[in-house]
Amino acid sequence: MATSSTTFSHFLPHSISLSLSKPKLHFKTIQPIRATISSNLSDPLVLQIAETFEDSLSLSSSTTTPSLQKLRDTSSQSILSLSWPTVKDEPFRFTDTSFIKTCEIKPVSSIPIPSSSIPSELNDTQFANLVIVDGHVVSSYKISEFPKGVFVGSVNDIDSEVIKKRVFEFVSDFQDGDLFWSLNGIGAPDFTVVYVPSDCKVEMPLHFTFFSSESGDIGSKVLPVSNPRVLVLVEKGGEIEIIEEYFGADENQCYWVNSAMEVLIGEGGKVTHSYIQRQGPNSAHTKWTFVRQEAASTYKVVEISTGGTLSRHNLHVQQVGPDTVTEFSTFHLCVNDQTQDLHSRLVLDHPGGTSQQLHKCIVAHSSGKVVFDGNVKVNRYAQKTDAGQLTRSLLLEPRASVNLKPNLQIIADDVKCSHGAAISDLEADQLFYFRARGIDSKTARKALVLSFGAEVMNQLPHKSLRLKIEDHVKNLLTPVL
Amino acid sequence: MATSLQFQITSTARFSSFKTAPSNSTSNSRSITIPSIGRLTSSCCINYHRQPLTAKASLSVELPTTSAKDIDGDSSKILLEVKDLTAVIAETKQQILKGVNLVMREGEVHAVMGKNGSGKSTFSKVLVGHPDYEVTGGTVIFKGENLLDMSPEERSLAGLFMSFQSPVEIPGVSNIDFLHMAYNARQQKLGRPELDPLQIYQIISPKLELVKMDSSFLNRNVNEGFSGGERKRNEILQLAVLGAEVAILDEIDSGLDVDALQDVAQAVNGLLTAQNSVLMVTHYQRLLDYIKPKYVHIMEDGRIIKTGDVSIAKLLDKEGYKAIA
Ligand SMILES: Nc1ncnc2c1ncn2[C@@H]1O[C@H](COP(=O)(O)OP(=O)(O)OP(=O)(O)O)[C@@H](O)[C@H]1O
Ligand SMILES: [Mg+2]
Repeated sequence: MATSSTTFSHFLPHSISLSLSKPKLHFKTIQPIRATISSNLSDPLVLQIAETFEDSLSLSSSTTTPSLQKLRDTSSQSILSLSWPTVKDEPFRFTDTSFIKTCEIKPVSSIPIPSSSIPSELNDTQFANLVIVDGHVVSSYKISEFPKGVFVGSVNDIDSEVIKKRVFEFVSDFQDGDLFWSLNGIGAPDFTVVYVPSDCKVEMPLHFTFFSSESGDIGSKVLPVSNPRVLVLVEKGGEIEIIEEYFGADENQCYWVNSAMEVLIGEGGKVTHSYIQRQGPNSAHTKWTFVRQEAASTYKVVEISTGGTLSRHNLHVQQVGPDTVTEFSTFHLCVNDQTQDLHSRLVLDHPGGTSQQLHKCIVAHSSGKVVFDGNVKVNRYAQKTDAGQLTRSLLLEPRASVNLKPNLQIIADDVKCSHGAAISDLEADQLFYFRARGIDSKTARKALVLSFGAEVMNQLPHKSLRLKIEDHVKNLLTPVL
Repeated sequence: MATSLQFQITSTARFSSFKTAPSNSTSNSRSITIPSIGRLTSSCCINYHRQPLTAKASLSVELPTTSAKDIDGDSSKILLEVKDLTAVIAETKQQILKGVNLVMREGEVHAVMGKNGSGKSTFSKVLVGHPDYEVTGGTVIFKGENLLDMSPEERSLAGLFMSFQSPVEIPGVSNIDFLHMAYNARQQKLGRPELDPLQIYQIISPKLELVKMDSSFLNRNVNEGFSGGERKRNEILQLAVLGAEVAILDEIDSGLDVDALQDVAQAVNGLLTAQNSVLMVTHYQRLLDYIKPKYVHIMEDGRIIKTGDVSIAKLLDKEGYKAIA
């Protein structure tokens, strides 16, 4: 395995740091987008998309809560300075978003579909379950079994003034998003809130299943888009486990899911997050996960991403107190002509943090592509940080590609870090071990490829989930082996 | 206040051999395209030359072999016959085996001893077709067939087994799945139906008892996180499940505590019949107290320089290699 302890000979003085600095926005007066369309900074395409989003939402007459209004206002404001990303923009250097751009982007209907028309597989979970279709909660299961004080549901349904206030405080607090983050804020018809009060340890996992009800036929160039959004707020000492799973349509259907999740973890709190992206092969999936960790909190995420023709995950964790624990384990699989992109960023500003990142990917299609930009920034005051990062890729086709940028930036001087990256073949010694026991190399190779992602999938916290995902990965890989 | 240092650490070393994207690249990203891993599936290549007869004649004077006539005129069936085997490291062409001769018959136990680095493991691995080595001369006949013509899996299926000195970990593949695959490969070769997981468990279960392993090891990944002793037991478990006519056990005793050594030795003895044979590579006479060899061979610098009975091992134990040279 290619773990190498860091030697500073890797020092590259001209590296470009990933962060795009953006002016901090202050909102006094909020103008609707239409009024500012003449702004020089604006990208007409972006404004046009934002406008269609606004128009589609104005059709629904439901009242808007202050939190939702705040989200829309801040997002509308920030979008004015954003343009559609091109490969000239560093964060999109290897990720081509033209699939979305060249389609006719059409917001999904803002009227929730009836729960009777939900595909039954979405309810297939033993955990508490929320089915979110096109951004609306359309059904729930076992939510009432959560402990008292826990709230799970639409922002419109919050009764408690305390929770309303806390949500308002934090919604859309994150300033470092990109175009897709802002578009989500404009287009989200609603957002789902998960609130865990102080010292409440929620034992039953909460399973979100996301689904898009609308899609365009392949070739029609119509791309229905939905903007689901979730805010998870865990107060001091609270704990919850979340499973976020995206399902998709068949291979002839095109759609775009532009999803966002904010996770705020109070002091000593803990969030365990499983993120499963198994959208249809002709979909676009853009996703933001923003996490804010207070002192001594823990955030662990396991990502398994297999779907979409274009899939981009921005995972951004900001540490706001000492002694945090952060773990990222991700597994990307490309068996089709598809791009799987993870841009992760962890910023450590306080001492005593621990972080581990493992990224693995298999590219099994000649025009498949994996992009990984994993930035861990250990700033000056983040002494006694222990950070590790490892990425391993397996390319099964001659022209398959990966673009890797594991990147530990260390400004503090008392820090333990290790990292490594490898484009691997299957391990020759492992392959021989099979053959020495009479197993032919084709079968051996197959077993080794199937087991490649196991290191990540083993991190999934529940056996039932793990088995389901292992099966899913196996079903995708078997035809190409 | 401490001066702060800024480091940007990026992995570069590993990428240097890969194609870098043609780019106006100002950052440290690399675009990498590599050939497929197909080459791993090609079978290992073995160069095969017959040694001139004259060389063979002169060798036999200096290097005793265990050919039956030489020692006790035994006429039971020969299982493995190695003649003048030479081999190099495939990558560097450095010669390691410099003419090994060995004959094993049904029902025999052999031991190979020798200093560190003398070539014992290399000899074992060459016999099972490890791709790190290239055979440059000599012959190996296994059950009347040319072993060197066979792929590693064919050798295994033909009944040759080697337990590794350091078995590798295989994360993501459970022990039971591994045994299942290996067992079914044998069934297939014999033209028998493949077994389902339940059937395979019924075959493995009694073997677990033989090597005194807990059944929980079946659900663990192959060798992953196993202690040294557990790995050795696991190798013997594989031998017990798969069976073999010639089993080469490379330092099956190293890293074992006294009890474990007895367990493993007992298991090996339990597998020995009049029809198969065992070649043990070891440093210690202790193992030979449990599994009694008919012949002890001393290897030095890629050759077997001496063959005798267990008294050599005893001498070695007392006085070291200088007593033998
Ligand atoms: N794949 C390889 N690459 C480089 N050198 C090798 C390789 N295999 C064997 N060697 C070298 O060949 C020599 C013989 O090694 P081998 O492992 O066969 O010794 P051994 O007799 O089994 O020793 P030990 O008793 O320590 O296990 C050693 O010098 C070793 O370093
Ligand atoms: Mg050895």
